[in-house]
Amino acid sequence: MTTPLTETGALGSVGELLVAPLIGFGFGWFLERGGLGHAPKLAGQFYLTDLTVFKVMFTALVTAMLGAFWLDQIGLLDLRLVYVPETFVVPQAVGGIVFGAGFLIGGLCPGTSCVAAATGRLDGLGVIGGMLAGIAVFNTMFDRIATFYQSTALGAVTLTDLAGVSRGLGVACITVMALAGFALAARLERVRR
Amino acid sequence: MMPIRRVLAIVAATAGLAAAAAGPGSSERATLLAAEISAGADHISAPELADRIMRREPTLQIFDLRSASEYEQLHIATARQASIETLAREHPSADATIVLYSEGSTHAAQSWVLLRLRGYRHVYVLREGLYEWIARVLEPRLAVDATAAERAEFERAAEHSRFFGGVPLADVARSEVPVGYWTSGRTVPVDSTKQAVAGIRRRGC
Repeated sequence: MTTPLTETGALGSVGELLVAPLIGFGFGWFLERGGLGHAPKLAGQFYLTDLTVFKVMFTALVTAMLGAFWLDQIGLLDLRLVYVPETFVVPQAVGGIVFGAGFLIGGLCPGTSCVAAATGRLDGLGVIGGMLAGIAVFNTMFDRIATFYQSTALGAVTLTDLAGVSRGLGVACITVMALAGFALAARLERVRR
Repeated sequence: MMPIRRVLAIVAATAGLAAAAAGPGSSERATLLAAEISAGADHISAPELADRIMRREPTLQIFDLRSASEYEQLHIATARQASIETLAREHPSADATIVLYSEGSTHAAQSWVLLRLRGYRHVYVLREGLYEWIARVLEPRLAVDATAAERAEFERAAEHSRFFGGVPLADVARSEVPVGYWTSGRTVPVDSTKQAVAGIRRRGC
């Protein structure tokens, strides 16, 4: 096993600090090049006129998933060392609704707001300001909502754990779903324009 | 020329669908092996092995991982002598049922892991090694105050014993039947196997 490099210690703490901004800049660069720093383009997915966000995010997801799965198969990646966030069903569903509402109102998500701000868009700065204010409010109120925040905990589970199927079958199902989604998205965009 | 988008979709579809047919990943294999070991699915009992030999199962292959001299002294019928190195060069068929035994050394367990990592699915270590083979197949013992269940089990064991040229020992003192004999709940020191093998030789079996 040679990866993840941060978990095996191959990079060292200085290396990790140097690599993180490089990955961040790369991510931001490709988001901007994909046009995702432009709020109307992002809002287009809610009106089914421009599904670029869906296609970009699902492409990233499928690429990472297939890469991680096959690297694990050939022994280059130890998936046990890849962090799996814990699941809290109800709090995360509520968080998703709040996130979606903010996305629809502001036209940007956290990553794309940074991209928009970096290219001098004021709406990007506005969303970043709102995001920081939200973080401050959340942390100030955390003691009051801690019980809810930690409710309905499932631990670090994955979809294949919950479905009781092999990891490979899960990968195949999500790949088919993504490809069907891309085809559907392309058709919807043609119809709505 | 095919558009790049279509090429990428075909690559993703191929990699995704092939994933369904792929086995557990390298990070999962150790976890699955640990679960097998924890559940005891890596072991076979001496009476069950005796049944399989008597049925002449065509896929059964037994490897004795003790030294050549110890093998010559006594070994299980149809077993072949091997070392951990020579076993690594063996290539049994993919559906082979492989049984490994030693006399308490770790080589049987280590070979089990090596064979499972090579993809062999039906690999077992003989529980308690050769000691259990002698105690429960070659020389089954029945205490003089045995229960009905123990007597029924002894009849089966005696049949095994006669088939493999052993001597069933009926109506021995309870103290001569090791604790946990009928439940296999004991741990056998290496010396016990050596003594048991030496005892077999003295009777000229």
